[in-house]
Formats: sequence, C-alpha cells, structure tokens
Amino acid sequence: PEETVTSSFASFIQAVQPEHLSKTVRHRSKRMILDSIGVGLVGSTTHVFDIALQYCRELYCSVAVSSVYGKPGVKLSPTLAAFTNGVATHSMDFDDTWHPATHPSGAVLPAILAASQMLPPNTKPNGMDFLLAFNVGLEVQGRLMHFSTEAQDIPKRFHPPSVVGTMGSAAATAKLLSLSMAQCTHALGIAASLAGAPMANAATQAKPLHIGNAARLGFEAALLAARGMEANPLILDEIPGCSGFSAFYSVYQPKPLSTPSDHHEFLLEKQDIAFKRFPAHLGMHWVVDAALSVRNLLMNYAGSFSPSLIRTIVLKIPVSKYINRPFPSSEHQARHSFQFNACAALLDGEVGLSSFTESSIHRQELRELLDKVVVEHPEDNAANFDKMYGEVALLLHSGDVLTGKCDTFYGHWRKPLSKESLLKKFRSNASHVLPEEKIETIIAMVDNLENLSDSSQL
Amino acid sequence: TITGNFANVIHGLNANHLTDQVIQRSKRMILDTLGVGLLGTGTEVCHKVTQYSKIYSSDVSSTIWGHLDFRLPPLYAAFVNGVAVHSMDFDDTWHPATHPSGAVLPAVIALSEAFPQKKKTSGLDLLLAFNVGIEVQGRLLRFSSEARNIPKRFHPPTVVGTMGSAAACAKLLALDRLKCKNALAIAASYAGAPLANAATQTKPLHVGNAAKHGLEAACLASQGLQGNKQILDMESGIGAFYTDYNPQTLPTLQSYPWLLDQQDVAIKRFPAHLGTHWVADAACSVRRKLVESSDNFLPLDKIEKVILKVPEVKYVNRPSPTSEHEARHSFQFVACSALLDGSMSVQSFASANVHRPALRELLHKTQLEHPPDNTPSFESLYCEVSITLRDGSTISDRCDTFYGHWRKPLKKEDLEKKFQSNASSVLPAEAIEGILESVYNLENIEDCSVL
Repeated sequence: PEETVTSSFASFIQAVQPEHLSKTVRHRSKRMILDSIGVGLVGSTTHVFDIALQYCRELYCSVAVSSVYGKPGVKLSPTLAAFTNGVATHSMDFDDTWHPATHPSGAVLPAILAASQMLPPNTKPNGMDFLLAFNVGLEVQGRLMHFSTEAQDIPKRFHPPSVVGTMGSAAATAKLLSLSMAQCTHALGIAASLAGAPMANAATQAKPLHIGNAARLGFEAALLAARGMEANPLILDEIPGCSGFSAFYSVYQPKPLSTPSDHHEFLLEKQDIAFKRFPAHLGMHWVVDAALSVRNLLMNYAGSFSPSLIRTIVLKIPVSKYINRPFPSSEHQARHSFQFNACAALLDGEVGLSSFTESSIHRQELRELLDKVVVEHPEDNAANFDKMYGEVALLLHSGDVLTGKCDTFYGHWRKPLSKESLLKKFRSNASHVLPEEKIETIIAMVDNLENLSDSSQL
Repeated sequence: TITGNFANVIHGLNANHLTDQVIQRSKRMILDTLGVGLLGTGTEVCHKVTQYSKIYSSDVSSTIWGHLDFRLPPLYAAFVNGVAVHSMDFDDTWHPATHPSGAVLPAVIALSEAFPQKKKTSGLDLLLAFNVGIEVQGRLLRFSSEARNIPKRFHPPTVVGTMGSAAACAKLLALDRLKCKNALAIAASYAGAPLANAATQTKPLHVGNAAKHGLEAACLASQGLQGNKQILDMESGIGAFYTDYNPQTLPTLQSYPWLLDQQDVAIKRFPAHLGTHWVADAACSVRRKLVESSDNFLPLDKIEKVILKVPEVKYVNRPSPTSEHEARHSFQFVACSALLDGSMSVQSFASANVHRPALRELLHKTQLEHPPDNTPSFESLYCEVSITLRDGSTISDRCDTFYGHWRKPLKKEDLEKKFQSNASSVLPAEAIEGILESVYNLENIEDCSVL
C-alpha cells in the first residue's frame, strides 16, 4: 500500500525505540520534564486549578488511580488527572515554549504520568519507556507544526497547544500503551476530531483548559483507539474537498516522517526549548530583559531609580493583538501585556510570581508608569519567537534618552537556562506545595530517568 | 457585544416565548431523536464508547437511553447517548446544515436526571432549554455564508453543536447572564473537528462530544470559570472556524422570532447522509417505471449504465464503499440499493447487503455527473437518476424534494412509525407508548425524568 503521511506517523510512533534517543535529546527532554513538574506544582495553588479539580471530583470518583499535582492523597480517574494537571501546568503561563510556537510539555507529560499510574503493576513502563513516550509526543507536535508556514509566527486563529498538543498527547499515550500501528493511526485520527480551540480565550481564565484538554483528549483518543475505535486513516494527508488535520491551517503541506532507522533525528536535537523565568507569555521575556538593562542605565545616570525623571516609555515590539494591553485588569491579562511587564520590571528590578497578584497589578506607582507608555511596531520586528526583539527606551524630562534592547532573553533556546537556574526555578515552584526531601527526590529521579525501573513512582 | 447579547437572550427567554409551531416542531425532533438514539445503542461504535465510559462511575448519574442496567456520570451519559444518536447518521438535519438535536437533547436529558431530588425539571423547562440550544446553533450558522453549503472543512455539529449544548445546559441550570457568557466562551475552546472523520466510525463521536463538551462548559461556567467575554464577536473566537465571519446581535426578547418557526428540520427516512435521500427517492421512482414497463420484474442484466446527476460533494462520492459508514456516505451505494430493493431501510446497510454481488455489479455500472446548476446546498440540490438499457432506451426521473425534507415534512403517522420501529429494538411496547405520550404532552409534564 502506498505510504501516506498519516501512516508514516503511525509507523514512527509504533516503531521508534529508546536507542533512537540521542544524548542531547535525552538531556533536553529531562530538563523539560523537571520544569514542567515544577510549574504544575506551583500551578496547583491557583484558582483556575481549584475550579478544575472541584469539577472533576464532583462528577467522578471510580477507578481513581492517578495523582494530582500538589494534592497528596487525592486521586482521580486517569484522563481527569491528565486534565487537571494540564490545567495546573498552564495556569500561570509559566511552562515551556518551543519553535515553531507551542507549549509542548504540558500537553504530553500529564497524560503519560496518569497513564503510567493506570497500568497494572507488572506492566509498568520503566523510566526509559517513559522518556521515549515523552519524546514521541514532542516530536509529533514539532513535525506537525512544520506542515504549515503559519505555524512559524505567533498564532492568530487557533491556539497551537490545542491543535498539535492534542495530537502529541495521543501519540505519546499510544506509545506508552504500546498500541499497534493501526491503533496509532486511529489514535491520531480520533485526536484530530478533538483538537482546536480559538485564540480568543488566551489571556482569560479559560486558557489553561487548552493544555488540560490537549492532555486529556489526546489520552482519550488513544484509549478509544486501544478499544478498537476507528477514524480516517488519512487524517494528516491532503484530502481534496474534505479537510482532515488541514482544517486548522490555511496553508498546509504535510510531509511523511522517516521510519526510525538507525538515524532518526528528533527535532529536539536541532531546536531546543525556551524556559520561562517568570510566569507570563514568552514575548514578555524580551521586554523585561530590555527593561532591566535600561533600568540599570537609569540608576547609573541618576544614582537611583526615580520614575519622576521619566517623561515617556517607548516600547518597540512586534505586532500581536493578544499581548498588547495598555491597562490589564486581571492576572491573566497582566501575563499577556507587554506594557505591564515592562513597567513591572522597571519599577521592581525583577519580575516574579508575586508581580501578578491583585494588589501588585493595581499599584498606584505602576499605573502611573503605564500611563507613560507608548508602543511602536518597527517593521523589522517580526511576530516570531525566533526573530523578535524587545526594545525599551526611556525619554527623560531632561531630554536624554536611555535605551535597552534585548534580542535573546535568558531562558530562550539561544541562551538556555543553566542547570543551576533551572533547578532554582524548580525548587522555588515546588516548595509551594512540597517538603524539601520530596523536592530533592523528584530532582534525582528525573535526572536519572533512564534507569528508573518504574516510572509511575514519579 | 454580540456575546453579551447572546447571553442576555439565553438568560431571558422563558416558556412564554415559545410559539405553538415551535413547540410542535421541537417535540417532533425530540421524538425522532430519542428513537434514533435508542436504535443506535445497538451499534458497534456505541458499544465501544460505552465500554470506555464505564471507566468512570460516580454517585451523581444519568441513564443511557434504553438501558436501565447501569448509570454513568452525566457527562458520559450525554456522550454515549450523543454517539448513539449519530451512530447511523439517522438523525435530523437543518438548514444551514447541521445535526441540531443530537448535540443538545442528550445533554439536557442527562443534566435533568442529575438534579437532586428536590429540584426536578418540568417538561416545559426541558422543552425551553432544548429550543434555546437549537436556536443558538441556527443563529451562529447564519454568521457565515460558508455555512449555507454542505461543509468542507469543519463538521458543523462540532462547531455550533457544542455551543448549542452549552447554551441549552446553561439555560437548564438557570445560570445568570455572566455565567451564560462564560459557558459560551469555554465551549468555544472545545469546538471544531475536521470533516475528514465523516464516513468513519469516529463521526458519531462528533455529536457525542458536542453534547458532552457543551455540558462540561456550562458546568465549569457554573463553578465560576471565566473565558473571553467577546467570544462570538472576535475573529479569533468562534470566527476562527470560518473564513468569512459576520456576527449579528439576536432579536429582542419581545415576541422572539425563533428560527425553528421559519425553518423546519429534515427528518431522515433511512440512516444515511441527507444528500442520499434525494437519490433514493429518484431511484425508487425510476425502478417503478422500469418494472412497470418490463412485465413487473426488474431486468438487472438489461441495465447498461446508471447515471446519477448530483451536486459535487466529495465525501459522499464513493463508488465502492466497503464499510457501513462508507455506505451511508455514498450516492452510488444508495442509488443501487434503492434500485435493487425498491426502498431503503435500516437493513440496507447491513454488512451482508453492503457486499451483495448483485449490488456490486450494479455499482460497477454507476457513474456520477455534476451539472453546474446542482448546487451543494440542502436547500436547493436535486438528483436525477437515469438508467440506460442495452437496447439503448433510457428511463429517468428526478427528485427535487424528498419526503422528509422540510419542504415536504413527514406526516405524524410516519414519524411515529419511524420512532416505533427504532425504539422496538431495545424497548418493550408499553415503554414505547409511554415515551410517545410523554413527548406529545411534554409541556404539561411536571417531572421530565419520567422520560
């Protein structure tokens, strides 16, 4: 039978083995796993998480075998645990970002964690299986995004995690459950019918649901496929007159995956991930680093930071409607506001978890600074996480101009977080809900993941 | 905003707004949907999702239509029943195109069963919520000119059906305006499945998921979750599913003009894609002519060619279907099947019938033509069947409006007959009579869980 794009994906998912994971890929993916868990743990303290958990507990109980981040003793059914943990991971927009743009780990990790707890004791996947499944989930997401040039830029129509994340979760779970090739094909097909959420809910409390649902629904698709449910075996291919996965893009050029022979190159090998240093949209990180550098200049100039010296603040940023908010009124909006993040950085000298609390958002001094902000969209500033930059210029009353520019923020894939910084982020996040020894245990386990005999311990 | 306006209407509509015609039509839809769902619980796809959903069970629970032996949490009951309704492609179709009832009824019934003892829903509440769900779907479909034609990209029940289910559940839960808005916003993030899974076993899940996710959105909104308050206004909201999107506000609540009043639904007479119903009527009529002119028997071997003039709809163009799902989405299959048997029924799609040699032979002789005046819209399409015999003569007939279409609605007896035939696959006669009575008298029932 002719090789279709869809079947090449199914082949890959089914046939890829741990040996195919290169050292770089293993290393990078373990960093992602650690960061994702930490972000999920701190996310379990949010309001949106409470709602999701409450909802799941009220409606379901039985076969409660899967754990929930930050709530020892609470168990849910596997897909709901995946949902809840996915919501936790994205609740503060603190999770990793890739290029082309999506949040890959949050859609995959909760699903395979829950799935591994679901399997009977004698068939538990070991650490290597787990790491492999995780990477399958990432790889599928990355490959799908390469099918459309639209995916290269910051999204406008559909929120990528809800499109490719669902597919990645289905692929990863299918791998973990060792589904046959036909079942893998159908898992992808069923997942496509569960994918796709519009961008408009970004910057609202509902956005974390996108990742929660990607994890949960991809997982469900794999479970349904495991029970024999069938879908369109050409879901990823071009089907004239009747859209498959192409429905989510206006330009779509699918390409088959090479079968994993000895030299399959995972995308993660060539393209690393960005980890966030504070919980806000990735675009914010450029302006914050630029703002911090210009703040230093101002302090050198004037001896201390005095906002009264500033007449106007000019932000040079790419065009992207959903992160351009002059006066955010909620934490969700604040996390998606160039203006807010720049001013918070200028005022406080740093941006962290506490920058987004209600009281912090509505501070008088901050509002005063926000009033002075003017936004410009230079033509050379592309709305693309690989190419964009952030520039903050302070026009002082004295007539002097101080500028700070950031091309690559610390944490971006071109300037990755050091091991110490990553661990610091994890420890800080996890300490909101876990005691120190547990924290250290998790760090050790993830570091040594390939050698773990039972990944459900995680 | 339009979103706010929708929330206002969902919140503000009450039983007094329902007109007689709307009540009558919607009760017909409810009856048909129940029958189709009961029948559907016997399908393979339904067995699979039931097995799957049994993973979850809980204290709060709802029933699977026709099966009182176990219960599922409301979400999964809505899911399973929604799948049942669409499992054979036997459920109603509207214009602009979608399957409105299957996305809404399972959700509102499951929800009404889940209420605590002291807060029963009346038949009228159910009827109102049902109609809110239908109305919202119809209004959303009018926001894009793409929706007027048979779909190509996203399967409409997954886009508007999810929103309709959320609206209906929000109504039944009596959510305030703000929460109605959020229910719509959250539901949008669950909407949208690509058309490619039509004609596969996964298609019924589209309706099941629409019902389930709409219900979930309403429940999450009820718990306080918030989404984008302009979800219907923005291009990056529900507009994401269309290439041209022009939302409009709803009419005021004063003597509210329901869409169901102006535009009825089509009810299917046999379980296949709506487009095939024109083909079946034309084919049956040609067969009659042929049989009359040949001493009352069907001269199969004398048939040289069968030509079907149909609109261009790729996913219903299947010259040689191999599964029941494909057969239900094949102009060619339905034409040949109708020519052979003189009528179409549930049985026409049984595996043995799909693979009959006589049928396969006839399929080989069948071709499609797409006249430019035959537009792919359920409002205007037609079908012409023309048979060329070996001696060169041709017999043909044309169908513009099949029996069951909104221009030629099923009579009450025939609607009941369909229901009885469907329901009898799982229910005893008295239960069937009981449901018929309850639905007919729905507005006056105090406690709709008797349903």
